[in-house]
Order: sequence, then structure tokens, then C-alpha cells
Amino acid sequence: MFYRLSGVHHANYVSDSRIFKVPADRNLTAFIFLIGLAAPFIIPSLYLNSYMLPWLIWTAAALGLNLVTGWAGQLHLGYAAVMAVGAYSSIHAARFGVPWEFALIIGGLTSSVIGSLFAFAALRVKGLYLALTTLAMQFVMDWVLTHSPAISGGSHASLQSPTLALLGQEITTDTGFYYVAFGWCVLVTIFMLNLKRTGLGRALVAVREKDFAAAILGVNSFYYKILAFATSSFIAGVSGALLVATFFFLAAPEQFSVAVSIQVLAMVIVGGLGSIIGSYFGVALILLVPGIVNGLVVTLSDGLGTQIDVETLAHIPNAVYGALIVIILLIEPLGLGKLYGNIRDYLMVWPFDQFKK
Amino acid sequence: MKVKQHIKAVAVATALAASATVASAQDKEPIRFGLCFDLSKSYTFISPQVAQAAQDLAMYTNENGGIEGHPVEVIIRDHGNEPQRGVECYEQLKREGVFLFNFLSTPVTNAVLPRAMKDGNVLMQSFVGRGDAVDGEVFEWVFPVGPTYWQQAANDVAFIKGQMGGDLSKAKIGFIYLDYPFGQEPIEILKTLSEKEGFELELYPVPLPGSDQAGAWSKIRRDKPDYVISWLLAGGHVVASKEMRRNRFPIDRYLSVNWLNEVDIANIGAQEAKGILRGTNVAGGQEVPIVKTMLDTYYANGKGSGPESLVRDVYYNTGMAIYSAGFEAARIAITENGWPITPESMKNAYESIENFDGNGIMAPVTVTDKDHGGGGKTRVEQWNGETWVPLTDWSADYLDVVWDVIKHSSATFTVE
Repeated sequence: MFYRLSGVHHANYVSDSRIFKVPADRNLTAFIFLIGLAAPFIIPSLYLNSYMLPWLIWTAAALGLNLVTGWAGQLHLGYAAVMAVGAYSSIHAARFGVPWEFALIIGGLTSSVIGSLFAFAALRVKGLYLALTTLAMQFVMDWVLTHSPAISGGSHASLQSPTLALLGQEITTDTGFYYVAFGWCVLVTIFMLNLKRTGLGRALVAVREKDFAAAILGVNSFYYKILAFATSSFIAGVSGALLVATFFFLAAPEQFSVAVSIQVLAMVIVGGLGSIIGSYFGVALILLVPGIVNGLVVTLSDGLGTQIDVETLAHIPNAVYGALIVIILLIEPLGLGKLYGNIRDYLMVWPFDQFKK
Repeated sequence: MKVKQHIKAVAVATALAASATVASAQDKEPIRFGLCFDLSKSYTFISPQVAQAAQDLAMYTNENGGIEGHPVEVIIRDHGNEPQRGVECYEQLKREGVFLFNFLSTPVTNAVLPRAMKDGNVLMQSFVGRGDAVDGEVFEWVFPVGPTYWQQAANDVAFIKGQMGGDLSKAKIGFIYLDYPFGQEPIEILKTLSEKEGFELELYPVPLPGSDQAGAWSKIRRDKPDYVISWLLAGGHVVASKEMRRNRFPIDRYLSVNWLNEVDIANIGAQEAKGILRGTNVAGGQEVPIVKTMLDTYYANGKGSGPESLVRDVYYNTGMAIYSAGFEAARIAITENGWPITPESMKNAYESIENFDGNGIMAPVTVTDKDHGGGGKTRVEQWNGETWVPLTDWSADYLDVVWDVIKHSSATFTVE
């Protein structure tokens, strides 16, 4: 009824390797893409620049982490540090006079090099040990940022980003910033959608499932792990640079602290490992829900005329938010992406599958 | 000096009384202050006190006729010390017509500063954010009324110089600090002053969050500095006090940054802490007129904006100081340029605050279009076992050295 299918049946490999195996999925994606394009005209500017924009950039970043954690199965606790490398090198390049297009690529490549250099050392260990080594990377980067004024921008450690300009156009409006973020997020999403269909994607999944089994099949697992780290670091670097260039306008070490690393990992896990749509949901939950719940609680308490002191009022949303994460993971341990998948699967051949029971 | 203050107090009282008779404050448009604070994460050791002070002061002002007849509205929101939520709070309140902001968090203030500069909204950032923002020629919209950390450190050195008979050439000063930008900021000034005054400077970095100081203090025991200037926070002071006892370092030679409050004193032990020094621009204790008024008017009748324990805390006085200056600026803005207050009139009003000390709550400040800090005066107070006793009068020293650093740093900032 909703999907107008009686099931998904592939008759050949071409149909099996399509991005959208169900036409309704493709239509839905196209519809959402159009809404995204029209967002500046239909969404009030407050929501555009303080919800939509950070949401899209963080989604791109989370997709990058999902590549290494969800697809290649390598736990990464130093993702914010990689974002910091990209952000700082791009901004320094742009301040030096390099055009922003190249500055962003320089940021991505520097991240990529440092991220994979580190992975080269870190990947000699696996699992929790790898997680700890990546955490070490985060601390090294924090230390470097707080101890080198030349990088972090003076004794108070804040580095101002020059005005973003792409293709000869200076970008200064909310709409402009939004489209930059939207464009980057769409690019990363397209890359990730296609990754599933390529040999690289399949190799990564093989490495995730069992790296020595993959090696037996002729997949060089070390090489693919490094490749996953390098690619995800590139995405992280550009996302970090764009976050500063379009949202914060100056870089400070706290924007890329260990807490942020854990937050991105939470986005990926709550969203669902290896799920693209899940990353969108996960980022929305981790990044936006605290602010939204805070607003709701404040409105509610104002409306009811209650005399709650400000500190309690600030902690209620945190409790609600924490409970929300626990509840979601209890209902569906595989994350919000899977939750969406369940609903979709249920409706796929609805109502006729009811007869089977 | 004393007479002058009395005259000023009387003048303020009459002004309030006069405006109370003119009109009741409630039927006029409010003056709105946006307080996007971290009430749930890292800054909770200070933000509730400051928020409560702002609420109390607004309540008191409104009950006494408001500011030139206009009521004050204090809007408090939580941003959890997350830059992204701070920006969200700023953008939301901005659209509701608020143009006076305070974020009370360095990361969040840093994230919002470029927006406030671009939009032309007044950013009150006493004690947080970048120090060079006192340079009013560059940071037009930022008002960090109070001393910068650079100025505080310079004043601390001047105090030590006074204690040592005006000669530092044989002195040895230790500097114990949290090893991240907050603690590192004064180093440059201290080095410059050490060259200028000829004292020996020893640096003792302590890793975050300041709970492990054993190495630093055993080094201090060997080096035997005459004074130790401390840039630690909250629990860091408690750990330092234990280490001082263990290493036999006299606590009355420990000169803290302004972040040392009654909670820390209680954790050290009120008697154990006897003699500890603190450089500050805010008068501590409950004998300050405005704090006494709040206690008598509201807390004695159980009508305060929060628990009374928070009032008996120097950070409450800090909040009073920040908002006394803010309300004074609003008053000047209305008397000079009339209603409605605009960001421009508020900025001009701030820049014409002259020798204002909020009836004794803080060091007298004179804000100008060049100096948004108001002169950077501080004094050193000593804990006597029960309350804070001022050892010196308000003063600011080595202004030329400090301003060299400020100018050097602010020159790198441009409005995009």
C-alpha cells in the first residue's frame, strides 16, 4: 500500500546492486532532498542556522566515523582530534591566503595523513586496546593545541576563521552557510550510499566481521583498515573545517575536546552502526534534543507558573535526555536506524503480510 | 573617599526613591538581560550564584521603581557549556529582542563572540573569554568589566612587592597553574615583570583537573619561593592546601586568583584556611551594603530567588558586581538617550560609566571607549577564619606592561 511491492526480489546482479532497491525509498529520498534544497525558504532562520546547519555538518562527520566504526568495525575514540587537525590546518591555510576550496582539501588531507599515520601505529592492536590508543591520540592532540600558541592562535587559544569564500563568492548569509553544509552532507551521503555497492565497502564489512577470515579470503585487512581510517579522517577534517568556517567562526580547543569525541561516537551508536539514515537520526538525538527538551521544559514551567529554581530546571532536561537514550537502546539496541528499518519493513507489504500469520 | 561613597549611596537611594514615586515599573516595557549559563556541567561552581544575584537584583530594582521606570527582566537558560547550544540560545534570545548577553563560560563566549560582534549586540563577559577583549577599539561590543587575568597577575606582583618592602630584586615568586589556556595566560606577563623587577620566577604546571599536585609542591619545598601565585580552580585549592601542609609551606603566602570561594574554604576547613590570600575586584563577605540589603529584605523573610547558602558565597557578590554595572549602564542609557534602549545607546552608556563601585561591591570602574575593562583594579583579601579582610586598597599596577600584551594580542582580531 505504501511501497506498492509484494517483496524485494532480485532477478539479476544489476538490480541487486542498485542504491535504491525499492522505488518508494528513492522517491522519499528525492522528496527529502528537495525539502533540504528549499529549507531556507520554508524554515525560519533560527531553526535554519542553529539547528539545521550544525545538524548537517555533524551528520557528515558522524558518517565519517560510521565508516571506520560501523563499516570497518574499528572503535575510534579520538575522532574530534582528527576534526581539529582538519579545522586548524584549513584555517591556517586560509589565513595564509590559500583559496578556501584548496584550504578545505588541505585540511582534509592533513587529517587524513595524521589520522592514518596514527592508525598505522594503533592498528597493531585490536578492539578495546585500539580504542584506548585512539583515546591517547585525542589527549596528544589536546596537549598540542593547549601548548602551542602558534597553532591555537595566541595565549587565549582562539583562532579566528577568515570569511568563507567558495568559487569566488564570499559566503556571509545564513542561507549561504546552510547550502555549504547541505552540499557537504549530501556529498558524504552519496559517497557512503555508494560505498555499500563497491568492492571496498564489501572488503570493509569482511574486515569488520572477522579480520583473519577476511585475510584468508585474500582481503588485506591491515591495508583496508588504514584505508578506512584515512577516508574517515578526510571526512572528519573537512567537516571540522566547515564547522568552524560556517558555524563557530573561530576555532578553540574545547570545540574538539574528548567530550566531543565521545559525543560523536554516541551519535553513531545511538543512530546505528553502519546505518546511513541512522547517523542522521543519531546526530539529531544527541546534538539537538538536549536544546529542544530544555526549551520545552522551560516553556512548560513558565506556562504552569511553577517556581522551580534555575539549577533544577537545567537538570530536568538532562535527566529526560538520558532516559530517552536508555529507552531507545532498550527498545532497539541496533539504534534509531534499525528502528526506522523495522517500521519500513513492517509497512513494506502491508497489509497483506498479515495473512501469513 | 569615605565621604564621597556616602554621598554616592545617598544619591543612589534618592534616585531610586524618586523613580519609585514617578510610576510603577510594571506597566512599562522591560529591559531584558539574556543569561545563557552553564547550569548543568563545568561552571556550576559559579553560575547558580551569579544567576541568583541577577534575579535578586532585578527583583529589588523592580520593587523600587525599576530602572528609570522600566522593569528589568532576567532571562536564564542553560547551555550545558556546549558551544553549539550557546549559539542556539544566543540566536533564539536575539530574535526575541534581547541584545544584552552573558554566557559565563569561556568556550561558549568564544563561540558566540564573532556573532555578537557582527550583529552588534552587547556581550557582557566579565571573568570569562579572551582577555584582550578589554581593548574597546577592537572589541567594540564586548564588555569584560573587571580585571583581565593579565592585570590580576600584575596586581598580584605589585602586592608582593609592597609586602617585601618595595624591592623584588631578591625575591622568588612561584606560579602554580592549571596547564591549559586559563592557567597559562598570566605566564607572559609574569615573565615580563620578572625581567623588569628582577625577581626570580618559578613555574609549576599542574595537569587538569588539578587533583594531582604532589610533584609541583615538593619542587616548591625545594625552591622555597617567597610567595606562590595560584591559578587553580575549586578543588585545586583544596588539594593545594593539603600539599602546603605536607610540605610546610605557609598558607598566608598562597595568593589565589579570584576563583576561590566559601565552598573551597569550607572544604579546606575554615580554620585551616586562615591566612589564605585572594586577589579580587569584588568585595567579599555579607557586610557589603547591597548583599546585606538582599539578606534583610528577602532572605530574612524567605523570599529570595534561591537558597540562602548561595548568598553567603563570594560568587554571589561577583554576580552582584557584574549586574550592578550592567543595570547602571542601562540607567545611563535611558537618562542620556531615552527609551527605547538600543545596543548603541547601551554601548555608549557602558563607555560612560565613571568611577562606579556599585555602593562598595567592587573596585571602582571607569569604562571608556578604549578600555572596556574599567581600569582593572583589584585588591588582596585575606581569610581570617570567618570572613575576608581586605589587606590593600583597590589599585591597578603595571598598566603599560599589561596593555602592551593586550594590544599585541587584540591586533590579530578583525571583524569579518
